[in-house]
Amino acid sequence: MTSVCIYFEVHQPMRLNRFSVFNIGADGSPVSSYFDNKLNEEVFEKVANKCYLPTNQLLLDLINKFDGKFRVSFSLTGTFVEYCQNYKPEVLDSFKELFKTGAVDLIEETYYHSLSSLYDELDEFEEQVKMHRQMIKRIFNYRPRIFRNTEAIYDNRIAKKVADMGYKGIITEGTEKILQWRSPNYLYKPVNSDLKVLLRNYTLSDDVGFRFSAKLWPGHPLTADKYSQWLSHCEGDVINLFMDYETFGEHHWVETGIFDFLKHFPEEALKHKHVDFLTVSEAAERYKAVGAIDSPWAISWADAERDVSTWLGNNMQVACFNELKNIGRKLKENGKKNLLHTWRLLQTSDHLYYCSTKGLSDGDVHAYFSHYDGPYDGFINYMNILQDLKQRVPE
Amino acid sequence: MKIAMIGWEYPPFKAGGLGTHCYGLTRSLADKNVKVDFYMPKTKHAAGSNNPNLNIKEVGETEIFPYDRPDSKELAGQFFEAVYRYNDLVVQKVKGNYNVIHCHDWLTMKAGVALKEKMNVPLVITVHSTEYDRSGWLYPNQWFIDIEREGMEKADRIIAVSNFTKRVIVEKYGINPDKISVVHNAVYPIPEGHKKEIVLFLGRLTIQKGAEFFLRAAQRVVDYEPDARFVVAGTGDMLPRLIDQALDLGISDKVIFTGRLTEQEVKHIYGISSVYVMPSVSEPFGITALEAISAGTPTIASKTAGFSEAFKNCLRVDFWDTDEMANKIISLLRYEPLHTTMSQEGKREIDLFTWDRVADKTIDVYRQVAGL
Repeated sequence: MTSVCIYFEVHQPMRLNRFSVFNIGADGSPVSSYFDNKLNEEVFEKVANKCYLPTNQLLLDLINKFDGKFRVSFSLTGTFVEYCQNYKPEVLDSFKELFKTGAVDLIEETYYHSLSSLYDELDEFEEQVKMHRQMIKRIFNYRPRIFRNTEAIYDNRIAKKVADMGYKGIITEGTEKILQWRSPNYLYKPVNSDLKVLLRNYTLSDDVGFRFSAKLWPGHPLTADKYSQWLSHCEGDVINLFMDYETFGEHHWVETGIFDFLKHFPEEALKHKHVDFLTVSEAAERYKAVGAIDSPWAISWADAERDVSTWLGNNMQVACFNELKNIGRKLKENGKKNLLHTWRLLQTSDHLYYCSTKGLSDGDVHAYFSHYDGPYDGFINYMNILQDLKQRVPE
Repeated sequence: MKIAMIGWEYPPFKAGGLGTHCYGLTRSLADKNVKVDFYMPKTKHAAGSNNPNLNIKEVGETEIFPYDRPDSKELAGQFFEAVYRYNDLVVQKVKGNYNVIHCHDWLTMKAGVALKEKMNVPLVITVHSTEYDRSGWLYPNQWFIDIEREGMEKADRIIAVSNFTKRVIVEKYGINPDKISVVHNAVYPIPEGHKKEIVLFLGRLTIQKGAEFFLRAAQRVVDYEPDARFVVAGTGDMLPRLIDQALDLGISDKVIFTGRLTEQEVKHIYGISSVYVMPSVSEPFGITALEAISAGTPTIASKTAGFSEAFKNCLRVDFWDTDEMANKIISLLRYEPLHTTMSQEGKREIDLFTWDRVADKTIDVYRQVAGL
């Protein structure tokens, strides 16, 4: 049997307002002025209509049509859920509908989609994971068993912490950096803890996530039939297809045929008798780890480097990251609880991503996702806000 | 391949991007074994070449070489007369077997058109700026526009220094876009110096270059960065007004007006400045930005500046948005990681902007029009 495990990342950052040096320490403006609510609502409204609502409906139909044989998993960030609650509760309702089918699993991550797993101490990371856990409990009355860190960032220390917190499995990138010659289509365990590691098959995932509408790609046009053939020829226990949920209707517009592809995919895949669909929890339960994963340095699923250079690749990003950490330490020492949520919203990894100065090929992807006029503009705005927040925390 | 190129200025004497461009282009063409006869007005400073493929041919005698329109009527009269006289002389002096006539801006267009008709050789013109740019889009002079339009219409091919300029040529002069190639300019890198807290403006002090916006931004900056010094390098008809403006703004002790600088002084000031600001009202390309960046000086440029179409590692502002300009200047002075990253990444990207590349693209244009 070859199991196909599909998992979607569902996230929206709270984008920042224009904030100049002249706004730093300006009297009377609340910290809520850091966030561009108008832009945020516009983006969310757009993506909800192009992606979240139609794709949820399609998935619900497919799960019903195949009587639960088609199964998927989701990770919803805390900021995403706040968007739903603030602007469009029907989006959250549609996720609840999906979850009720029993063919949908939910995955844990940090509430704020942050880089807190890279801080010197893991207390903030643990708090944010617990916040996410409480949120999922409150909304879905469920306790996730599988963890996926922000952008699949993974190292031995994170794996150990996640195992200690009681999770059964963790998701990361199936990069050669940790696999060497080995296949991503099996489960592994960390060298230092008892946990199943699910590895993203990046070739097959990116065929859909990145290349689907690339006309120059030899695989174009990608049909459900062709793609299912490829999957059916794979060796291994489990093929992990992990991607941004916005792949459907946002990264690839409806005109590219991405919804038709998804619509026909379960049927075509299930034509192959040795192929089935599993949620991430089921995959971790059914299959055994075949080897150990050693990752002393952090890997991720981002950019060509598959490391954390997307967020911490230049001096500007490191400066913001350090500033964030220092502000947090002071906040916690001074018990300024009212600023904690704001500080954490600023930890969302996207703010650092906008400051990335990586070269042409990846830089294009960065520009596509950024509302700034380049990384330097992004840095100035973000750093100005961090300076303002810093001034609000007494020494 | 043999080219007759009609220029106006050439280092060591130059007033603008046109001279810099001709210098870089002709040297790289000669290196690629294209024979170039470069015609230019006779100057006090002899321009020379040590490559046998490149011959500098000085024509006639004239003393006034502003790039722009002079302020005083008397000087302007002499200037236009000098331009006419030069164009007439060029038409008499250019002789030989050429594959292409190549001229630059309105200053040389009349000669280009006349030579094309006299010798029956294809004409290429490079547009470095138009009358709309030089007037800052305020009261452009029809007399210049007519010369420019005639040249553009008669040319077999036009090279624009940016897509921004190509758009102006299409929309304002009604030229077929298929006839226009865009070739972005390049730079010979300038060494980085020991950085001081200097914010630099460098350019002709004309309405086009927007120095007044630089001073307004400076006034916003000084309250936050009291150690910063603002250097206004260059000369032009706006100089007296700018000096008054600095006094009115109460920042005359923070602003240094250098007047015209020598080439060595220009390199030095690029090297030691911490921030370069190019607040042009209209900027077809903006070679000075590339020069500053090559010297490790992060640059804040007007959003419409042609170079920023192709160059990523810079900051961009609306020229009139002096608060945002000040925000970016202060950030560059205050946030060291921003300064370092922009400086390093900028120098890396500058390596792509070579005259070698400009020459290759120009040769492509020559081949098309000459059918070679």
